[in-house]
Amino acid sequence: MVLKVNGLREKLSLKCIIGYSDIETVKLDFDYTPFKTVRYFAFLTLKRFKLGGFIILKSSMNCYHVVFDRRVSWSENMRIVAWVGLLCKNRFLLKWFVMQCIKEESTLRVSCKREKPSPRIVFRYGCEDMQIREFLGCRKTIKGIVRRLQNEGVGLYHGSC
Amino acid sequence: MVKKIAVYGSYEAKVLVRQRFWHRRVDGVRQRYWHKTKRMKKVALSGRYEFYGKGKDLYKAVVKAHRIMPKGFVHVSAEKFLEHPDRYGFEGEWVEREVES
Repeated sequence: MVLKVNGLREKLSLKCIIGYSDIETVKLDFDYTPFKTVRYFAFLTLKRFKLGGFIILKSSMNCYHVVFDRRVSWSENMRIVAWVGLLCKNRFLLKWFVMQCIKEESTLRVSCKREKPSPRIVFRYGCEDMQIREFLGCRKTIKGIVRRLQNEGVGLYHGSC
Repeated sequence: MVKKIAVYGSYEAKVLVRQRFWHRRVDGVRQRYWHKTKRMKKVALSGRYEFYGKGKDLYKAVVKAHRIMPKGFVHVSAEKFLEHPDRYGFEGEWVEREVES
């Protein structure tokens, strides 16, 4: 006899998405792009704009996030994302770029999303003292919040805090 | 240290039904206007919270954000949201749908 087992993640999954957003960190969201291409464009951007260092996070199959270390202004941030978008001709990255321009803040997902797990670090290069450290600190906080919500099951839909 | 997080997605909530009325103005022009009735209907919307503040406040705000759906794009400090959650949203439930960041 085979019983269908509903996993813990499914049982306690969050239906909203929690992400990290700010204006001073250069972030890129590569969807449906192989890892080698993502790494190539990350290195190219690093050299061109002297961004100090970067980390690559895998969000799902062939989907990667890149976070750079140097602090930049919002206009420079969008200038860099637009440059990469035009260079790699990735329409998903361009769509993401347009959405960030509308919001005036760039966001990357930290929590899980439906069947996709939370993004995990797969590659590091260069300095991690400024924006990457801030990003990782905030990511840790968000992960802690999600873990606490899942462990305590704090009335996800009906409870109060 | 002030941290900033985004809580976003699609949700279902009950909202007041709006009904269209016609009104004849003093100058004789027939004008259309909308009126909120007492009836409720369930609608699917998408929204977003941008919380900033300390870790503890952020945690409490995220817990509260599970019940209180954002009125569009809400950029608020976690502390202020905890004081007056009704000012920034209304009751509803998050649903799993495809949503962009």
